[in-house]
Amino acid sequence: MLEIRNLHAGVEGAEILHGIDLTVNTGEIHAIMGPNGSGKSTLAQVLAGHEAYSITAGEVIYEGQDLLDMDPDERAIHGIFLAFQYPVEIPGVNSAYFLRTALNAIRTARDEEEVDAIDFLALIRDKLKLVEMDEKFLKRPVNEGFSGGEKKRHEILQMAVLEPRLAILDETDSGLDIDALRIVANGVNTLHSADKATIVVTHYQRLLNNIVPDVVHVMLDGRIVQSGDKTLAMELEEKGYDWIKEEHATHSV
Amino acid sequence: MTGSKKNTRHTASNHASWVQKFESSLNGQSLRALRQQAIADFDRLGYPTTADEAWKSVNPSALIRPDFEPAIPATLADAELAPFIYPDLQGARLVFVNGHYAPEHTSDIPEGITIANLADVYDHPLVKAHLGKLAQTTDLAFTALNTAFMRDGVFIHVQPNVTVETPVHILFFTTASEIPTISHPRNLIVADENSQLSLIETYAGTGTEPYLTNAVTEIIARDNASVNCIRLELQNTKGLHVANFQAQLGRSSRMTFHDFTFGGAFVRNDVSAYLRGEGSEATVNGFYALEGSQQVDNYTLLEHAEPHCPSHELYKGILGGSSRAIFRGKIHVHQKAQHTDAYQQNENILLSDNARVNTKPQLEIYADEVKCSHGATIGQLDENALFYLQTRGIPKAEARRILLRAFADDIIGRVTLAPVRSHLSDLIDTRLERIYAKDMA
Repeated sequence: MLEIRNLHAGVEGAEILHGIDLTVNTGEIHAIMGPNGSGKSTLAQVLAGHEAYSITAGEVIYEGQDLLDMDPDERAIHGIFLAFQYPVEIPGVNSAYFLRTALNAIRTARDEEEVDAIDFLALIRDKLKLVEMDEKFLKRPVNEGFSGGEKKRHEILQMAVLEPRLAILDETDSGLDIDALRIVANGVNTLHSADKATIVVTHYQRLLNNIVPDVVHVMLDGRIVQSGDKTLAMELEEKGYDWIKEEHATHSV
Repeated sequence: MTGSKKNTRHTASNHASWVQKFESSLNGQSLRALRQQAIADFDRLGYPTTADEAWKSVNPSALIRPDFEPAIPATLADAELAPFIYPDLQGARLVFVNGHYAPEHTSDIPEGITIANLADVYDHPLVKAHLGKLAQTTDLAFTALNTAFMRDGVFIHVQPNVTVETPVHILFFTTASEIPTISHPRNLIVADENSQLSLIETYAGTGTEPYLTNAVTEIIARDNASVNCIRLELQNTKGLHVANFQAQLGRSSRMTFHDFTFGGAFVRNDVSAYLRGEGSEATVNGFYALEGSQQVDNYTLLEHAEPHCPSHELYKGILGGSSRAIFRGKIHVHQKAQHTDAYQQNENILLSDNARVNTKPQLEIYADEVKCSHGATIGQLDENALFYLQTRGIPKAEARRILLRAFADDIIGRVTLAPVRSHLSDLIDTRLERIYAKDMA
């Protein structure tokens, strides 16, 4: 589904990603772990198409198409979804309007019929249950005045409405208490299926108790330095990142 | 500096004789003393220059054109008027073309309310009592000029205890021509005790040539009256617009004023609310969406003279091209005005590197138990919000529109008259499309 080859990217001349290679197949859940500043979030933002990052080398093929050639909205239409680490507040735009506009933008681009307000309400009620959110959220401006947990649940709600093929969750677990973590993980698991793929970017192993990855990658200084199965995540939890840093430093020398 | 101040070619004696000549063309001379005082004030003041504190940020020389002729009456086809009126809105409508009352376009005067062309009611006791009392000529040159040469405009008196169910729409329309003209619309509204009135003031123009509209509106809201005003400024792209809006609030009265500026090459708005009755409440909100080289100067004053008065002020602007906006808001809390609750905010979004905003809040507080706050923001469209919307499948142009509309709807959404709100909605959409078409070209 997704193939990243030798991806180099950065901001204002400073390279952050120094050659990423990653293949994600349909049906798989990948976890990308790593210490702060290793480039995990940059990778997520680059995949979503943030303009601030320039690509200096490499390519990203998504379902046979050049992903880097697409605008962020085109990527969404093709089924890519990024759950933001820091969801953005949008004053004056209520959640219901935002969600329906997004859903209809995607449906229109796919030559599907728009969802009217009444059908949307039925649809959204169903999705709200998944993330255990109250209907009153729909009337509030997007993310404005939301708690950290509410913001992250709202991200999963958007994912539930837009039904992406490839979901990228950027530190969706950070800042969550155990209840919110359970809700978010349950949402992600429910939305994942054999014809979809999920990339979970996280600093902590904790989330991976609830979302079980097929592959775990460790990122260090803008490179994927190690990949393995879920036991790698447990090893990281136990030993921290230092051993892998040391090991990697030895390898590089 | 005073030497350069009187840079007009006219002489004082000249002006006085013009006023005399002008007056002899009118029906009645009962405003003679007011006019003579006004022209004397104007002669003393001269046209403002950037040396005047109140005109510091703009160069008013654009307004000072000695060749501006008094505007002459013209007939106006219904089709020309159509974009500015609201067929779905019931209520009285009065139309003025080039500063002259056009009774053929007037409709439906409701009961319990006196509505007349000001020129026909100079001798009305309320006109005698109030005209020129709020809009003083001593330090405002354009108001002095208006007062010296005023003729037509709207006089409204709402009788005590009358709620005027339908809004009164007054429309000042200019048909620009090769000869630049000047008109001085003048309005006086008296809302008597416990009465209620909604008013829409529209200033619009056709053509592509310059002209100056120099308008003054005085509003007296007596005890427990409620006055709701919406003003739309839609002059043509070369139009010059100077407006002085003054409101006085009696005990427990309420006034809301929503000002929308879209048109004109240069616009100067003075808006003052005098809270002179205990427990009176003023809301003064404004919105401007500018393009090209438009300049808009908003100068507001909230005068808290009595205790327990809240005031709310929010001005928001979107600027494209090389447009320029100035906002100056003063809140003056008198010593007696304890328990004042005054809020003032000015927010701006710049859509172009060449657009500019100057914002200057000013608080003068002499009472000790007050709650006053003010703030100002100037920034670009939030790139992170734009990206966020795009990642949800919303195309960039639509994402921009959503964000800018949310910003504008904060003011537009407060307009309760649906046809006017929908007109404003169209105006902002069209304006945003044009800004992006030009700036992105």
